[in-house]
Order: sequence, then structure tokens, then C-alpha cells
Amino acid sequence: MQRQIILDVHSLSKTFSGGGRQQHVLKNIDLQLYQGDFTVIMGASGAGKSTLLYALSGMDTPSLGTITFKDKVISNLSQDGLAVFRREHCGFVFQQIYLIEGMSVMDNVLSAGLLVNKDRRAIVAKAKGLFDAVGISDEVQKKFPSQISGGEAQRVGIVRALINSPEILFADEPTGALNSKTGLDVLDTLTKFNEQGQSIVMVTHDLRSARRGNRILYLKDGVIMGECDLGKYLHGDTARHERLNSFLKEMGW
Amino acid sequence: MSKLFLIARSNMRKAKGQSVAIVVLIFLASLMLNLWLMLSMDYKANFVRYHDALNAEHVTLAVDNYDAGVSEYLSDTLARDKRVDQFRLDSCMHTVGTFPYNGGMMNGEFIFMDKPTAISRSIGRSEIVEESDLSSGIYLPMLYKSDEYSVGKTIEISIGNNVVSYTVCGFFNNVMMGSHNCALTQIILTQDKYAELKTLGFASEATLCSIRLIDMSDNLNYEAAIKALVTERFHNAARMRSNCYDIVTQSRYISQMICSGVMSAMAFFVLCIAIVVIVSNIVNYIQTNIKNLGVLKSVGYTSRQLIGSLLLQLLSLTLLASLSGTGVSYCLFPAVNAMMISQTGIPYAMRFLPLPFIISLLILCFTIALTVWLCARKIKKIEPITALRSGVQTHSFKRNYVPLDKTKAPLNLALALKSALSGIKHNITVCITMLVLSLIVVFSGLMTENVIADMTPFLDLIVGETADGAVNINADFEDDFLASLDNDSRIDKIYLYSSSNISHVGGAELMATFCDDFSKVNNQGVIFQGRFPKYFNEIAIAGKYAKERGLSIGSEIEITCNGKSEKYLISGFTQITNNLGRDCLLTRQGYERLGELDNVTYYFNLSDGVDIDAFNAEIKDRFSGSVNVTINIDETVEAASGVYVRLMTIIVVAILALSALIILFVLYLLVRTMLNNKMRDYGVLKSLGFTTGQLILQTALSFMPAIVISTVVGLIIGSFIINPLIGLLLSGIGIIKCSFTVPVAFITIAGLVLIILSFCIACLLSLKIKRIAPRNLLVAE
Repeated sequence: MQRQIILDVHSLSKTFSGGGRQQHVLKNIDLQLYQGDFTVIMGASGAGKSTLLYALSGMDTPSLGTITFKDKVISNLSQDGLAVFRREHCGFVFQQIYLIEGMSVMDNVLSAGLLVNKDRRAIVAKAKGLFDAVGISDEVQKKFPSQISGGEAQRVGIVRALINSPEILFADEPTGALNSKTGLDVLDTLTKFNEQGQSIVMVTHDLRSARRGNRILYLKDGVIMGECDLGKYLHGDTARHERLNSFLKEMGW
Repeated sequence: MSKLFLIARSNMRKAKGQSVAIVVLIFLASLMLNLWLMLSMDYKANFVRYHDALNAEHVTLAVDNYDAGVSEYLSDTLARDKRVDQFRLDSCMHTVGTFPYNGGMMNGEFIFMDKPTAISRSIGRSEIVEESDLSSGIYLPMLYKSDEYSVGKTIEISIGNNVVSYTVCGFFNNVMMGSHNCALTQIILTQDKYAELKTLGFASEATLCSIRLIDMSDNLNYEAAIKALVTERFHNAARMRSNCYDIVTQSRYISQMICSGVMSAMAFFVLCIAIVVIVSNIVNYIQTNIKNLGVLKSVGYTSRQLIGSLLLQLLSLTLLASLSGTGVSYCLFPAVNAMMISQTGIPYAMRFLPLPFIISLLILCFTIALTVWLCARKIKKIEPITALRSGVQTHSFKRNYVPLDKTKAPLNLALALKSALSGIKHNITVCITMLVLSLIVVFSGLMTENVIADMTPFLDLIVGETADGAVNINADFEDDFLASLDNDSRIDKIYLYSSSNISHVGGAELMATFCDDFSKVNNQGVIFQGRFPKYFNEIAIAGKYAKERGLSIGSEIEITCNGKSEKYLISGFTQITNNLGRDCLLTRQGYERLGELDNVTYYFNLSDGVDIDAFNAEIKDRFSGSVNVTINIDETVEAASGVYVRLMTIIVVAILALSALIILFVLYLLVRTMLNNKMRDYGVLKSLGFTTGQLILQTALSFMPAIVISTVVGLIIGSFIINPLIGLLLSGIGIIKCSFTVPVAFITIAGLVLIILSFCIACLLSLKIKRIAPRNLLVAE
């Protein structure tokens, strides 16, 4: 079956200037992301993983090149145009979680949901459904971010990212700030949503996280050095782990 | 010290914008403080300096030479009087006259003197401040130097039905007779013109008596006493005019008093706002820099040193702002002086005044240091380990304000309200600022309505009774005069309103005004407590005087005049400022218990469109032998009030501009702090899809509840307290109760403008949000 391209990237470059010199972080990248994939971007620190993620998600604009979301070019949108694009089509899960301290857990989610859907009752019901799905109780929903654990916070972050049913969920090192157990819970949650059809693009340098993806891209010095198709994630599939290990070894990981 | 300096410098570098805003607020406070102190400490003292330099009198008396013995009697009486230190008698000419001035007609009691006499008198000398080559003409008090009158121009003075024209040769300064506010206005003529006027016979020949007292503070009583003696001896008070030191200083310095009062209030308000802003800034500094403070403590800095660095930082800014404010106050002072001089008429040479500078610097430094110390004490409680590990919660989220799952408010408004309700410190700063500014708006509205647009309420308060005109006639002609005007359709209202000096036994000399029926007078607000006298045994006295003497309504006081004494019951308290609050009101029958009237003054209001001057001229023509004086009060008031209108317009414009500036800087500080504190939140919200416009709107809206509530509350409270406040400001001149009309429409519109302006400023200042990019959330890869 022909897989549907959701994001099409051509000749993407990103250059940062500062201190009188230029740093080419992304170099002439061509890439297609597909509907339903759990794409993992790996690479060493400074390879440009997060820069690529932020460019793909419309958080940042490329210096050169085009990014097309379905049939719409997003790389030439204004800042406000990109904001509308993000709210309607994207969800984000950050390494630092970034819940808003002054809002309750529920309000953190609704602040994103009500931006797109004005039907308050519907969006509250949807939020509650998602909270149930990730195991956030009613009591926790009323708390403030400073009053909940890191794992709970990241799961709230995932609910917030999914509240508008985004076509793509971007995750930037979602387990980076969590301990092993809670990190695993978060990965399970992401895997579960991916199994339900949610497209995910995740940046990580954690092998355990990377194993959850079906498509692994390896970035080095701003260039995609290679990719590996791991197939659908299955718990305890050791062959898949080995495939990933050998790919990464090949890439110089 | 150098370590503290490094920390202070680092703090200032990190918060350049905040430092600039604090400097601006302290600068404004310093500017106002210095102007106020210069005006209140030196400006009036300038009068004393000139009074001494020109050896001016404490009491001035001009008595027409209707009796050959006047001069001799005065000379003998004053020579014998032990209260008199020095006196001098000179010949002059005295008349009531008018000349065009300031768009109206200046009506005054003119004392014409020849130049050699006027400038060489040992007491009450005049000083020529502008001379010319012209050898024949007139010298005017420097108050009148304007585009209208300058050297070489012609002035036409109306004396009765006659007009005399003179070329202006120059201007002079005379302390006790240099302004129409002095009751007597000196006019100097060159010798030829003086002789010519004498020949024409338009003015009465008179004796000008200048008296210096041993005890200057007795001047008010002495003026009344000497007048009483002359009246008793010659029985013609209508042909005698006088003034005294206290009355002249007050009347020449009303604008200085108003301006200085407004400056002091503004200085206090701005300082108050600066303190609130500094408090908010320090609290925020401690919250946002808690980890840095923890680090500094962990490497050995003591709390005292850290507080010291904050003190150093803010005192450096205060010093810088104070010096700039003082400097600018000296640049602005010539403009303030020009504004004042049109009312005082006394030259003022500006010079550096160390005392106001030192006092304003000390006030600012002490206040700021105290504020910093009180706020920064929290640093003492910071434990380095706690600060380093977790910092301190910048918010205490005890309640989830405006829960999004329950509120029906639109999302942006709901988020703005959420932010507003959780930012209590910001709200306090905004509330205090807006409360103060609302009061300023109410004051501006009050002044616009009651001084600038229509001066009647202000005049009612300051002057007492005003009408279209007045006519003074001999008492024996009164019945014929009234009968002849009985059916005159041009007259709307005519009523007796005459004044004379009386004495309160065991008290002071009082200016008594008597009237047939006080219900006819235009200004019913003169009585602020009790009622006008109705019966022959009733008296209303000045509230200020009654308070000094412990008198109350219903008290009985004994009054004496013309050698007779009678007792009166106090029916009410007045607040007429004309005589330093030494006034009283009597019915005509009440006054006549003390003696016969020689002459009486009638005030009149004419129908619309009737020319007051023409009416006065006709009255003078018809009853030439019995009419002593006619006055066009309307024109006189218009000419004299111009200066107050100009002054008040400048004050209102200045304080409104200042208010706008204050809003700008206070909001700048708050928005800047909010953006710094919530930088990450804005990035997150942008990443979620909020546009810059939505976030700007949320930020500006988050200030609006505090702005709207405090503005509305401020305007309402201001409307109630503004009259008592102005009364307090003017209490020095005898005003007890102020009842200016509160212009509801103006205040409502100004309040709306204030709110809209604040919103627009908050939006503009929030434009920085545009620069916050979600990619700033990107952490190191």
C-alpha cells in the first residue's frame, strides 16, 4: 500500500549567525515523513536533531529549502501563520515538559484545546478521556504542575499535545528529564497512541526510546547520514533491537 | 565596597530598562520636589528681600485731602504712636480708574505720583526696573509689562468719564503698591504729566502715608486702627484707601501658593508611585534571582552585603535622578517664574538654592533607602542550600482562578484574568498608581470646570461676592437713587453690599459687610456652616477667625465701631479670603446699631446684553454729585482672572502629561517584569499555537481588571474627597469648605481615556512578545 506523505522536506538548511560567524546546523536535507509512522531522529549532541524537529514542526523557519505539510508549503508562512499551523496540525512534547506553572493540570490542557475547539464541553470531555488513557486521575487534574511528579507532568504534556488531535506529534527527548520507570511509562503511552494511528516524530539519543520507532533517521553534522526501517514495535522483539544496534554502529554511534 | 559595586553594576546591567524607568520616576519626583521647595522656601522670601531693600511700609494709607488738616493730623498721630517705627507722608493723586488689560478692563485705586518723589521716598520707594529715553509719560508697575504695554506704547486710563493717555516710559517695582492685587496701585508719571493731571483735576489730591511698625505682625490690626482714627476724626471713610503687609503678601502670592500646593501634591504622588514600583521591583528581583543570591551567600556574601548592593544600586540611581531632576528644575524655573510673575509682579532673580536641593535629595535618598531596606530584608531569610536546590516558588498557587473547564469567558480573556488574579503584586502597584492618577484626573476635571471653563465658582471661593458692577453713593442720596432705578428694566437685581471696618471687643479688627437681605447675594456659598444673619442682633463671622478665637455658632460677641458697642449672636461661619479671614457679615440694621452710614455700595446684575460701562457712565452722569465710584466688576474680574486661568490651564496640562508619563513608565516596568518572568510561558503558549497578537492581548488584558477597578474606585473616591482636599490646600487663606462642582461627564470621559490609554500602552509595551520565538525553548542538544 502507498504510504501517505505527511511532511515533505526539500533542501532544508538552517544557519545560525552570531558572534560574527555562521553555524550551518542543517545542511540541504531532503526528507519525507509518512502518516502513521513513529519516526525517531537520532544523532550525537550538536548534530542538529532538535533544530530539525523545530523546523519540521513550524516552531522555527528554515534558512533555505521548503517544507510542505500535505499540500501546503509551511516554510514561507509568517509567524502567526505558523502559530495557526501548529495549533491545528501539530502537538509537542518537550524534554523539559514546559507546563505552565500558573495553570492547573486541566487548564494546561484546555488552554491548548480551546484554542482550536470553541466547544468547551466537548473539549473538556476529550481532555478527560485522554487523562484516563494516560492514567491521570481527577485529583491530579486539579493540581498545579509544581504539585505533581515528573512522570505525571510528562503524561499531562502528552495529553496537551494530543488534545487537538494533531496530524503529527513532535516529541523532543520526552524521557530526557525522567527516571527510568516514568520514562518507560511515557514511552508506552506514546507507543499506544502510535498504535492507534498517531504519527509521531521523536528526537532522542536514548536507545531504549529509539527502539519504539519504526523508522530511525540518523543525523550527523546537519546531514541525514542514513535511515533504518525497524518495522512495527513489538514488546520483547530482540531482533529489532539488534537491527537498530547494528545500524547505529554503522552510523558511528 | 568594590564587590558590592560589582554586584550593583551587574544588577543594573541585567535590568537596564527597569533602571531607566526607576530613574525617570525618581527624576520626576525630584523635579517636583525641588520646584515645590524653591517656590515655597524662596519665592515668597523674595518679597521680604525686596520689602527690606526698598524699605517698604507695613501699612499704606491714602487719604484724600478733603480737609486741610488731614496731613497734619496724620503726622501728629503717627509721631505720637509708640507702635510706629517710621512713617512718611507724600503728596499724591488718588482716583478710581480703569485701563485695558488682559482682554478686560483693570479697575483699581490708582495712586499717581511724580517720578522724583516715587523713586526717592525713604519709605516705600519704587525701583525703576526698565527705563527709556522718553522724558514725558508714564511708568507702570512691572506686572503690566506685556505685549499690550511696553516702552513707547500708549496707555489710556479712564478716570470717571475722562480718559487720559500716556506714553509708557518704563516699568517699576513697588512692593506694597505694585499690583492691582494690592488694593492700591501706584502709577508714576513724569513731572510734566503729573502737573498736567493735577491741573486737569480728574483725580483727588491726597496724602500717601507709608508706615513702618515696630512689630510688623501687628500690621493688620494697625491698618484698621489708623483707619478708624481717621474716620472718627474726619467722618469720610469713602475717601480713604489702605493696605497692609499681610494682605498684600497673601494677595500677591495666591498663584504661588496654588502652584506650590499642586507641586507638593504631585511630588508626593510621584514619589509614592516610585516607592511602589521600587518595592515591586525588589520583590521581583529577589524571586527571580533567588538562585544567584543563594550562590552569592554560599560563596560567603553576607545578607548585609547583598542588601548593601541593592542599596548601592538604588541609591546610585536616586542620586543620578535627583541631580538630573534638580538640574531640569532650574531649567524649568524661568518658565514657572514667568507664570508666577504675572501675578506677583515682583522681579525674581533665579540663583542656586542649596537648601531645597539638599532637602529634596535627603527626602528622596532617605525614602528610597528605607524602602529598599524594608523590602530587601527578605534576603536575610534565604538559606543558600534551599535557594540553590529549589529556588523559591514565585507563585503561591492556592487557588485555580478562572478554571477553564468552568468559565464562560473567551479563552484570551480567561487566560488574562487568570494571570491578573495570580499576580497580586503587580495588581497592588497598578492599583496604587491608578488611584493616584484618578485623583489627579478628578483634580484636573475640577479645575477645568471651575476655573478654566467658568471661573465663577473659583471666584466665589476666593473673592467672595461678585456681580456685574457696583456703585458707591452718599448715604443721604440712597432713597432717591433706589427710587430712580426702581423700574429700570436693565437691572435684574440690585442689592446693598457695603463694607466697613469694625472691632471685635477682645478680638481683632474685622471687615464687616452688610446687606439688606443676604438671600439676594449671588454667592450663597460664602456661609459654609450655619446661615446668613437675618436679624439686627446676628452676625456671621469668618470660620478661620472663629476657630482661632474658639467661637461657635450661637456664641455672643461684642462689636464696637464709632465709639459704640453692641452684642451680636453668631449665626454662621463665612469663608471669605479677602481680608485674611477677618471678615464678618451683618444685616444693615445690625450695622446701623453701631452708627450712621456715610456712604453705601450697591451691587447690581444687569440684563443680558446691557453694556455695564455704558450703564455706569449713565449713572455717573445722572447722579454726578452723589455717586462716588462706579465699578465694572465683570471686566475687572475678567482682567484679573486671566492669570489664574492661564496658570490653571498650564497646571492641568502639565499634570495630565505627567500622569500619562507615569502610566507609561509604571506599565513599562510591570510589563517588562512580566515578560521576563513569563518568557518561558510565552514560548510554550506560542508553541501551542497562540499568535503574538493573542499573547499581547492577554498581557494587556491582564492589567485591565486592576486598572479598571482602581480607576473607577479612584474616580469615585476622588470625586468625594477632592473638595475637602482643596479646602485643606487653601486652608491657609481661610477656606474651610470647598464646594466646587464635580464634573461627572469630564471625569467619566477622562477615566475612559485613562483606561484606554493604559490598555494601548500595555499593548505597545507587550510588542516585545513578538521577539519571543518558540525555538527559544530548544535546550542544548
